[in-house]
Amino acid sequence: MTDFTRRGLIGTAAALAAPALIRPAWAADTVKLGCLFSSSGTMANIEGRLNYVVRMAADQLNAKGGVNGRQVEVITSDPASDWPLYAQIGRQMLQQEKVAALFGCWTSVSRKSVLPVVEQNDGLLFYPLHFEGEENSKNVVYVNSPPASSVLPAVDYLMGSDGVGAKRFFMIGSDYVWPRTINKILKGYWKSKGIAESAWREEYVPLGFSNFQTLVNQIRTFAAQPGGQPIVVLTVVGSSIPDFLREFANQGILATDVPILGLDMVEADLEGLDTTKLVGHLNCWAYLQAAKGERNKQFLSDWSAYVKAKAVPFSADTVIDPMVSAYDSVRLWALAAEKAKSFAVPDVRKAFAGLSYDGPSGYTLTMTAENNYVSRGVFIGSVNETRGFDVLWQSPDAPKPVPFSPYG
Amino acid sequence: MAEMWDWSPRPLARLAFGLMLMLSATVAAAAGDALDRPGLVAALCGDAAALGRGAEAVIGSAGSAAPDDLAFAGGVLRGLLDRRLACVGTGAVLLDRVGAADGRDVLTGIPASATGGRSPVLGLRQRGLVEAGAGIVALLTGATVEARSAGLATLARRMGTLPEADAILERARTAEADAGLRRAIAQAMQAAALDAPDPARRRAAIAAIAAVPSSAALSRLTSLKADPAYIADPAFRAALDTGIASVERAVAIGNGLALAYNAVSFASILFMAAAGLAIIFGLMGVINLAQGEFIMVGAYAAYGVQEAFRWLAPGLIDLYLIAAIPVAFLASACVGIAVEALILRHLYRRPLMSLLATWAVSLFLINGVRVAFGSQNLQFGMPSYVSGGVPLYADFIVTWNRLFAIAFAAVTLVATLLILKRTPLGLDIRAVTQNRDMAGALGIRTRRVDRLAFGFGSGLAGLAGVALCPIYSVNPGMGANFIVDSFMVVVLGGVGTVVGTLVAALGIGGANVLIEPFYGAVAAKVIVLVGIIVFLQRRPEGLFAARRRR
Repeated sequence: MTDFTRRGLIGTAAALAAPALIRPAWAADTVKLGCLFSSSGTMANIEGRLNYVVRMAADQLNAKGGVNGRQVEVITSDPASDWPLYAQIGRQMLQQEKVAALFGCWTSVSRKSVLPVVEQNDGLLFYPLHFEGEENSKNVVYVNSPPASSVLPAVDYLMGSDGVGAKRFFMIGSDYVWPRTINKILKGYWKSKGIAESAWREEYVPLGFSNFQTLVNQIRTFAAQPGGQPIVVLTVVGSSIPDFLREFANQGILATDVPILGLDMVEADLEGLDTTKLVGHLNCWAYLQAAKGERNKQFLSDWSAYVKAKAVPFSADTVIDPMVSAYDSVRLWALAAEKAKSFAVPDVRKAFAGLSYDGPSGYTLTMTAENNYVSRGVFIGSVNETRGFDVLWQSPDAPKPVPFSPYG
Repeated sequence: MAEMWDWSPRPLARLAFGLMLMLSATVAAAAGDALDRPGLVAALCGDAAALGRGAEAVIGSAGSAAPDDLAFAGGVLRGLLDRRLACVGTGAVLLDRVGAADGRDVLTGIPASATGGRSPVLGLRQRGLVEAGAGIVALLTGATVEARSAGLATLARRMGTLPEADAILERARTAEADAGLRRAIAQAMQAAALDAPDPARRRAAIAAIAAVPSSAALSRLTSLKADPAYIADPAFRAALDTGIASVERAVAIGNGLALAYNAVSFASILFMAAAGLAIIFGLMGVINLAQGEFIMVGAYAAYGVQEAFRWLAPGLIDLYLIAAIPVAFLASACVGIAVEALILRHLYRRPLMSLLATWAVSLFLINGVRVAFGSQNLQFGMPSYVSGGVPLYADFIVTWNRLFAIAFAAVTLVATLLILKRTPLGLDIRAVTQNRDMAGALGIRTRRVDRLAFGFGSGLAGLAGVALCPIYSVNPGMGANFIVDSFMVVVLGGVGTVVGTLVAALGIGGANVLIEPFYGAVAAKVIVLVGIIVFLQRRPEGLFAARRRR
């Protein structure tokens, strides 16, 4: 895998040298898939894993004879958590490497930067993160859930009697499009429920921010005010998540005082933390490592074996939703390509209609002709002592995704 | 309802459920009688609603239940919170540790297997009740004063939602042997009497609440302004106004202290990250882009020390952070000296080349560590002196990890100043910084001073790694977070002065923390950067310019 880091000072020079970023994989009878996941910068710890998952999925396809008789070749890169670089590398992959599909992006800002590239080149980007919705391109497959089938059920749970009967909300996000749109939708949702505007507060921090003392002080003050049970809706990303959690626990706030709903919080963010003081905080995803079922067991053992066999520099025992969604993406693409008997994007896209696939989450993923969204199940997880999430609630089936929120 | 009694694949479970419904009702009703132990166990192993009722039953009966019943309930609730309670069939097994294969049956105490058992996952509502129940039992039956006062703290958190609080506190006060804790309980009882019919008791409650000021106390008192007595009873109004005024004052002071503490702690982090750079940059004019990675090396050295303690001296593991101080210093200093000897000494007087070379070193270190240790955050066991915090005054909480960093920065500052001002090496370093050629002409081996100073600066970065690992996540990329901030501090402070670095760190840290509550963290960063640019336009040499001849 090519690793590449850049810093502002030398950024221009590095960007000019970008052709060296992609390691081409020349072989006659192969079909290429491109990855756009960073192995350096603020997203490295979580995004870096997805490169390996895509490779693992491709290896599994190849072991069964490839797709349409062709071996699958995975090309990885390192956009270095630098949003414009995602677009640049994506363009090279589409134009020079002629990849059949791109798998990539974690933050919405990186997806937005790749969007015009895939649209101009009629490429296909599989996007494995749950996100803010409000977008519907024929060139992007939204493998994970929009807010209506992830965030809103979780907020409903917290507002209900099974949760804590939440009445007031402190929103903290990293300053970019995903947190701002999610919070906008949430505010619209609360307004539709007749909740007054004084019941919430909204704060943003720069990406990579780590000094959360003042904000946690403010949360304690907010929590002490009258008006009902407060919760924190956390939409910071990357290395800010563990830094926030650590400060929160150190200032002595328990989940039973003020629960955190961490929308981007995954098992990997808890690595290195002492979670005994964080037990009970929540997240919501379309997959949790604790999901029941044989398919999940299989996936977990596959990943663990792959990490050991290939000396992957990530934990063998930690699997997070975007990893599974990236894996699902490759399988969905392979199913569609086989159904279409072609790798051409228009044919593959047509084949999405009516596609269904049983993923590790235990739900059946389905797609319709209506849009490129995928139906996924909903999990609400609760942090436990062993740096994982217990499944607190899960949806009976996979709800139909709603791309455009009526609350935005 | 019919289907409830239909044939089911798990008739026992159904039966247990039915029994439990009846039993838990009895438990709640029969306060004062013996606790229904099987009923409680069945409830706690039932669904979420039953679990909540089970915990409520314990709370409800706590004022009058027999001590051994209370101890039993406490053990079960604690086990539930710690995930040591496994529900097997219709009973439950309490494990000695999480994930053990077998333990003892909750009711009989007979050793039993936990195979196939499940540990109930607590929803937030249930968790709150179970925590309160366990806390109440700890208050009433805890063996040590610490356990009982922790129980009181848990109870105090949820006082408003517990109608039984009075009876429980009364019982705890009568039984309490420790005078200090008895006073605390009496105060809590006084505060709980806010809605009592007797006006004198209400005024005493207001005074009791005002005696422990916090924003929660403030909003509790403020809400009383809507009380009819506030208009009707002048004595009540006077008591309330005095109470509110004193709490408001205390909260304001507490917030001021918190602000100062935040500023100093942020400044100490900036200072730790920048101190080594100030020396390296000041002495040699080398823009060391690998400084962040030297911090990372220090943090990984601390991790190595922790692992060594875990293997060799598990009893002393809490001291590993202290033991890591010299190790981290030496590890980073060795890396620094190696870099200087192998690469940088060939590139003096070519600042752009040395900048590129140190950037390459930083990439090399990041990826080397990534290959050796993996990309994930390292798992540090945090000793009690760097985890949690203690409420000091009103809403002001001192968090130990930040206090550790502040103390660490202070000691580093003093040690650095002593070395620079009071040792022969310091004299040489200052001489070379001020005029390299003249120092060389006077017989100082400037190259050797360079190497030692570079090692010293790198070692300081290693120390920063130790100070920061209780605060930030430790992973190969952690250094990148510090490099921009530390250059900002060094340039603002004036190249080559430790005092300048300190003042700049305090200034930047303080400005960030002061602006943040008003305009948000994003604006704070922008405003501070703009401020620095404007300042450097006026005074390019920074706050404290070291005297030097070039």
